[in-house]
Amino acid sequence: MSRIPLVDVEQQPEPVRELMVRSRAVNVLRVLANAPDVFVGWAQMVGELFESPTFSPRTRELVILRVARLQNSRYELGHHIVMALDAGLTEDQISAIVETDDFDAADFDDTERVLLDVVTELCVTRRLSEAAFAKAHSIFGDEVIAELLMLVGCYYGLALVLNAVDVEVDAR
Amino acid sequence: MTRIAYRDPSDMTPQARELTNARGNLNVYRTLANAEKVFTGWMVAGDAALTSPTLPLRLRELVVLRTAYLMDCAYELGQHRDVARTAGVSADEIDAILSESDWREMPFEATELAVLQLTTELLTTQNVSAETFDRVHRAVGSQATVEVLMVINRYAGLALALNALDVDLDETARLPIPPRRDVTS
Repeated sequence: MSRIPLVDVEQQPEPVRELMVRSRAVNVLRVLANAPDVFVGWAQMVGELFESPTFSPRTRELVILRVARLQNSRYELGHHIVMALDAGLTEDQISAIVETDDFDAADFDDTERVLLDVVTELCVTRRLSEAAFAKAHSIFGDEVIAELLMLVGCYYGLALVLNAVDVEVDAR
Repeated sequence: MTRIAYRDPSDMTPQARELTNARGNLNVYRTLANAEKVFTGWMVAGDAALTSPTLPLRLRELVVLRTAYLMDCAYELGQHRDVARTAGVSADEIDAILSESDWREMPFEATELAVLQLTTELLTTQNVSAETFDRVHRAVGSQATVEVLMVINRYAGLALALNALDVDLDETARLPIPPRRDVTS
């Protein structure tokens, strides 16, 4: 059970209330809105990550799921497995990312394999070897690498908050 | 050496450029500005965090330093050793925080010790014991507890990017601490 009380949705000022009404992942918002001084800025940041066309929804969900797996975030996994299915990842691919860690057993394309390997190395070792960085950089270039790191950082950090507070996955 | 090119502030959105200039035009910002479709939102979130009146500046810097140490982030450590001094953290206290366990023996206030314990547990185990969480929550309340966690969130995530891109520490420029907003009524 959440260790922090969930704020009342109807008591929130706009646009926070509207954001909560639209979202499927309401509990995380109702926890974070306890800190109104930083909530709206954080929400703008996450909104830009989701609206950016740099990654397809499928690629974005692949990255988020791998981070969620490595951070052991029950809440992120609970929501993003559903979103990954909606974005076209297969059940076998999702199982490889969040359960077996056996990427060869699932049918990922070369770019997806590089992304999974980079995210794994980064989350496990907290850095990237010269070889791993060079490979990713040759495929993606400066802008996409930087945005990938912003996406990973967002979910890596958020997983820590969700785990610490023990936020319950929203009922569907 | 920083692994990707620095963005020139003239290539940023006006809002991102203004925030980058206000925050010392640091290498971290000019590097992450390559992610031009999401950089502005990240800067806005950072501005909200830096100007929030909720946490004492000193407590925030303790959390940042402990996070930077546990994430093994040379860039964050380089910046925030100096920022923490400005926020009233002594050189001995900084040395203790940047060690495995010396901080436990320092005369920090009870709340500071509890927050350092929470930060340490979270970044070494991906979780926090109920006892540690309750100690912090009772001491500072829900709003400040969430903000402490959001500081860990931001600096842990940022550490990954800084480490991955091997961003060079600025020679002399340090993060200026912006004035805080008024307390939310």
